Amino acid sequence: MMNKTALFIPCSVNLLLPWIGEAVDRVLKRLDVVSVYPDRQTCCGQMVYNKGFFNEARSFATHFLDVFESFDAVVCPSGSCTAMVKHRYPSLFDDDPKMKQRALDMAGRVFEFSQYLVDVLGVTDTGASFSGKVAYHDSCHLSRDLGVSLQPRTLIRAAQGTELVVLNNGDQCCGFGGEFSVSYPDISTAMVSAKAQSYLDSGADLLVVGEPGCLLNIGTYLEKNHPGKQVLHIAEFLDCQGGENGR
Amino acid sequence: MDVKTQSYVTEAKKEMASPASRTFLDFFLPVLSAVREIGMTSFPDPAAAVERARAIRRSSVDRLGELLETFERNAVKAGARVFWAENAHEANIYIRDLVNRHRIPYVTKGKSMITEELGLNEVLKKNQTPVYETDLGEFIIQLLEKPPFHIIGPAINIPTDEISRVFMEKAGMDSASTDPVVLGQAARNFLRDKFRHMRLGITGVNMAVAETGSILNVENEGNIRFNKSAPGIQVSVMSLEKIVPNLDDALHMTRMLCRNGTGQKLTSYVTLDTGPRKQGEKDGPEELHIIILDNGRSRIYDDIKTREVLQCIRCGACINVCPVFRQIGGYPYGWAYTGPIGKLLNPLLLGLDRTRDLYGACTLCKACKTVCPAGIDHPSMILYLRNKNLAADPVLQGEGSTFAERLMSKTAAFAATRPRTWNTAARLGSFLASKLGPCHPLVSAWTLKRTFPSLPPKTYRDLRKHP
Ligand code: SF4
Repeated sequence: MMNKTALFIPCSVNLLLPWIGEAVDRVLKRLDVVSVYPDRQTCCGQMVYNKGFFNEARSFATHFLDVFESFDAVVCPSGSCTAMVKHRYPSLFDDDPKMKQRALDMAGRVFEFSQYLVDVLGVTDTGASFSGKVAYHDSCHLSRDLGVSLQPRTLIRAAQGTELVVLNNGDQCCGFGGEFSVSYPDISTAMVSAKAQSYLDSGADLLVVGEPGCLLNIGTYLEKNHPGKQVLHIAEFLDCQGGENGR
Repeated sequence: MDVKTQSYVTEAKKEMASPASRTFLDFFLPVLSAVREIGMTSFPDPAAAVERARAIRRSSVDRLGELLETFERNAVKAGARVFWAENAHEANIYIRDLVNRHRIPYVTKGKSMITEELGLNEVLKKNQTPVYETDLGEFIIQLLEKPPFHIIGPAINIPTDEISRVFMEKAGMDSASTDPVVLGQAARNFLRDKFRHMRLGITGVNMAVAETGSILNVENEGNIRFNKSAPGIQVSVMSLEKIVPNLDDALHMTRMLCRNGTGQKLTSYVTLDTGPRKQGEKDGPEELHIIILDNGRSRIYDDIKTREVLQCIRCGACINVCPVFRQIGGYPYGWAYTGPIGKLLNPLLLGLDRTRDLYGACTLCKACKTVCPAGIDHPSMILYLRNKNLAADPVLQGEGSTFAERLMSKTAAFAATRPRTWNTAARLGSFLASKLGPCHPLVSAWTLKRTFPSLPPKTYRDLRKHP
């Protein structure tokens, strides 16, 4: 039967930030969306792909298509995993027209979480409430790869009691970049400290991001250097009701 | 010019710790990017203008061979001499022999990254021919013996007191000053004298117009115009991708180049010249030599995946927006080209084996691709270079993968299609990672300025299955 929405949960969320997945579940439930979690899902393969192992990435892509192909929509709380499936998978099969077609068919049906809410469901107000100033960091893959930048802002603005404030250089990379963060720690931490500075300068009470990688990077940086300054995933934010963050 | 691409990490650390570089990088680069954006809005339809520019560059590169031949024919018809240089050595020898044949006492140069690529100054120096850089920025770094920091502003990061010091030491300035006007005047006094007696001037080329055989240069100082119009011999060096089909396209690309480079609609000087001085004309060189340089570009052209890099017009827009460049500046790139375009050109021209950090140190954020008026997809090409490096590509001089890398990727690919194995391995892997301890290099790299994330007791998968 093809009428269901499937959740694709990134490895980082599954292993390190499971509460983001739970927040996604709760928000979707609040909006009466029935979602399934296909049990056979593994990983999008971004890590090996970004290292340059294209052949190996093909196994990930093939498995992903096998697992998710039968769903109407696949929703993922990560811009980079979504972009991997949407934009990278088709390019992996330049020599295999049949697989390429399968990848292209999938590409039109995979959505990042906020994109799914706004563009597919037509939701703007999720019923979230958070009193305070919120700044939004445009993660690279969300904003430039998927063109998703208005959607999360729309959702944040609609939250009760929330004022969305400007984050200077908001679309500049936070310096995570997967392996980059540990291969070039000096450059990476200089980048994340610039991001944290913009957050501090913005006067916001909370920073919201749509990418688990950015969340880990910015979050652990803030924890060490500016304890008390909070960063939440957009799903966690939308899960907030009356200022609680659902953790 | 020396290749220092291998000291990327140490140079980067040095630059990040340098207060002078920091001030410049933190304040000036965002301003340059903002000015560019404002400049672009002066097009009636900026998006269409970008699309047209990308189409022009794509078709120019697609038709490269044919256009270059047309250019040569028309340039020769107009009286220019065209020399095809297979590599840097051939180009340098051609210029050196020209200098020696005509007993040229010294040469002057307009700003050109291509002659940095050639290492021409070193060759002429060995020939005991003094070279005077006449672009203010190039002049400053020549005196300081520093590499270019940025393709558009080679000395843009040098503080004025350092310029004052080196001008007093080497350019005849009498008293110290940090006033830009005074410094400019000092450079002008020194260089005017060189122009007055110049016999051979060297320039780069921003665009070579096939239809007319003309060469076009943009600049803000007028020194290129001097080098192109003063009597004697003019040598203009172009890498072969500088070709555009016709004047119409050249003008559109000029509008694009200026806006993307400096935010100007047009630079203060734009020179478009066809052939040397003709009878009855007042200025222009007596002899015009155009060197068309390959230096590895045919090889780049032959691979359909790397060919796109030849679309670049060297506007510098990608450099100004690059978040890595904004931290480390231009020196770590270790060769003629810096920023995202340097991450592609340096490895492609020098080989993957000695430029690993260039295509390695990238978060694939796509800021470069988004602004590029020439339609280059830098991140995709960076991934391609990583792939070729792992595959030990003989043409691009890839290093190959390590045993550990192969093991990791093969194991991961094996497990990716077997959910049970995948989940067990992922849990085990993250558990082991959480026990690595603070001294493990991966942990210490992460915790340099961050805390180590703790491992939650249950995965999302477990929670979902057994809430
Ligand atoms: S790659 Fe594009 S943005 Fe960068 S210098 Fe070349 S033309 Fe300009």
